[in-house]
Amino acid sequence: MTRARLTRGAIGVAGFLIVGELVIRLWVGRTFDFPAPSAILYEAALLPVDPEFLEGSLVTMGNWGLGLLVAVGIAVPLGVLLGSLPTAEQAVRPLLEFLRPIPSVAIIPLAILLIPDDAMMKVSVIVYASLWPILINTLYGMHDVDPVAKESMRTFGFGSLAVLGRVSLPSAAPFMATGVRIAAGIALVLAVSAELVAGGVNGLGVYAVKASSGNRMDLIMAATLWAGLFGVGANLVLQAAERRLFRWHWLRTGGVRT
Amino acid sequence: MTRTLRCRAIAVGAAVALALTACGGGESTDTSASTGGLEKTTIKVGALPIPDPVALYIANEKGFFKEEGLTVEPVIITGGAAAIPQIKNSSLDIAQTNYVSTFAAVERGEKIKLVADMYQAGENTFNIMVPNDSDIKTVADLKGKTILVNNLRNVATLAVETQLKVAGLTEADVKFAEKPFPEMGNAIAGGQADAGWLTEPFITATQSQLGFRKLADTMTGETENLPIAGWMATDDWVQKHPKTLAAFQRAIAKAQALVSNDRKELEAMIPTYTKIDAQTASVITLGSFPSELNADRLQKVADLMLEYGYLKQQIDVKSIIVAQPSDG
Repeated sequence: MTRARLTRGAIGVAGFLIVGELVIRLWVGRTFDFPAPSAILYEAALLPVDPEFLEGSLVTMGNWGLGLLVAVGIAVPLGVLLGSLPTAEQAVRPLLEFLRPIPSVAIIPLAILLIPDDAMMKVSVIVYASLWPILINTLYGMHDVDPVAKESMRTFGFGSLAVLGRVSLPSAAPFMATGVRIAAGIALVLAVSAELVAGGVNGLGVYAVKASSGNRMDLIMAATLWAGLFGVGANLVLQAAERRLFRWHWLRTGGVRT
Repeated sequence: MTRTLRCRAIAVGAAVALALTACGGGESTDTSASTGGLEKTTIKVGALPIPDPVALYIANEKGFFKEEGLTVEPVIITGGAAAIPQIKNSSLDIAQTNYVSTFAAVERGEKIKLVADMYQAGENTFNIMVPNDSDIKTVADLKGKTILVNNLRNVATLAVETQLKVAGLTEADVKFAEKPFPEMGNAIAGGQADAGWLTEPFITATQSQLGFRKLADTMTGETENLPIAGWMATDDWVQKHPKTLAAFQRAIAKAQALVSNDRKELEAMIPTYTKIDAQTASVITLGSFPSELNADRLQKVADLMLEYGYLKQQIDVKSIIVAQPSDG
């Protein structure tokens, strides 16, 4: 079954590329200067042997990973804390609801102004953007804990820390993991955007800035393709980890196929 | 809801907000006597990935900075205006800027100084380009048309306005729209605009790939040999690092002289730090790379800006340049 799905997926991608190639070569390319998919794929295939691109990708991925880790380190404990203290949550909620919808890309200029260290600035905006999905999902996870299970534990004389550790956390963990997976995508957007806005010594976004100034649309698109592949890769890894770690949760919710 | 709880909650919220804006702090200024008394031996210099700042990379590769005891780390910036916050918060020591932006920023009250010259326009380095079949044949035909520029109220619009004036038009007779250079060609080809103010490598690219033709060279008449770009630092940085600055200026001047005398050096260097390939680098039209920061030449830019209303008051350029100490 997976093989059939893979085949169908491959056919879809190939069809998209062929249509794109024809549209660009026969129609768009007559008026506009835009690289065809074949040209982009060719450049994309060459990029992994370009030391500048490799180094840049490592820098961007490094910021991404670090930012995501720091965000998990802040948002999960904060979410658990707020989730266990409803009054505290009510106090913080207006602030959260105000900060959360601000497009994170909009804070990049502010971050440039406030944070003199380039890497720190980039990681900070990634952390900021990644916080929200993790925090919100953790909160939902904490609200979703089965009250009967909690009450039963208490009836047997367990303290609130034990209830937290044995019931609430395991129950909320799959929600947190989903939050991290959503945050990973957003973090990648911010990792590249921060470089596009602020520049830097090296990075995926810096590479795109250079390619743009050199009128190399093919290189921009090739770098974009790789950024997309990194995002897909991260999503697959996190999803696989989720399935493995929270198998029980997966079964309970009916093993939703994504 | 108890009062203490709410206080604690607000404190937590504030702590998160603080953590997010946590500054790097701990600025390291390495002072060392062994390097000729430079206040700082490693500096970060912001430059655009375009031909203009080629001397920075030449000076690095030829060891001109090393000879001065200076280690220069080039950082790609996304624009001169975007670099101002970066020199202000010391994430960069020196950065590329264009003179029109600089003088406008000085009038706004930014405390910045020009420390070295970089790039001066030459013939056909900044042209108004139109599609080959366009019915715009002369600058006067631009009346009522849309012209794309990379930045509004900057060197682009200023240069175009000087040409409009010659044709008996003013800024009010045309519509300026902002578009990054790489997107201008396609936008004009697609009918979003009628003409575009372009520089290299985009002049050559739109000619060869979209069949555009040159309508006018904007660097003639009042704008002939117009100084375009230079290096800037904050007043504060200049005051604290006089020896480092002098070392930077000497090395850059040497590289500028080398580039001016030998186009081959320039063509070989451009593909190493930009995405302009060697073939393109050999055919693009480039201006000149002056070695000396000359107040008289730069004053022309400020005076033009005043004439066209880009400045409200006269700026004495001498007061914002820090020239290289003679034989320092």
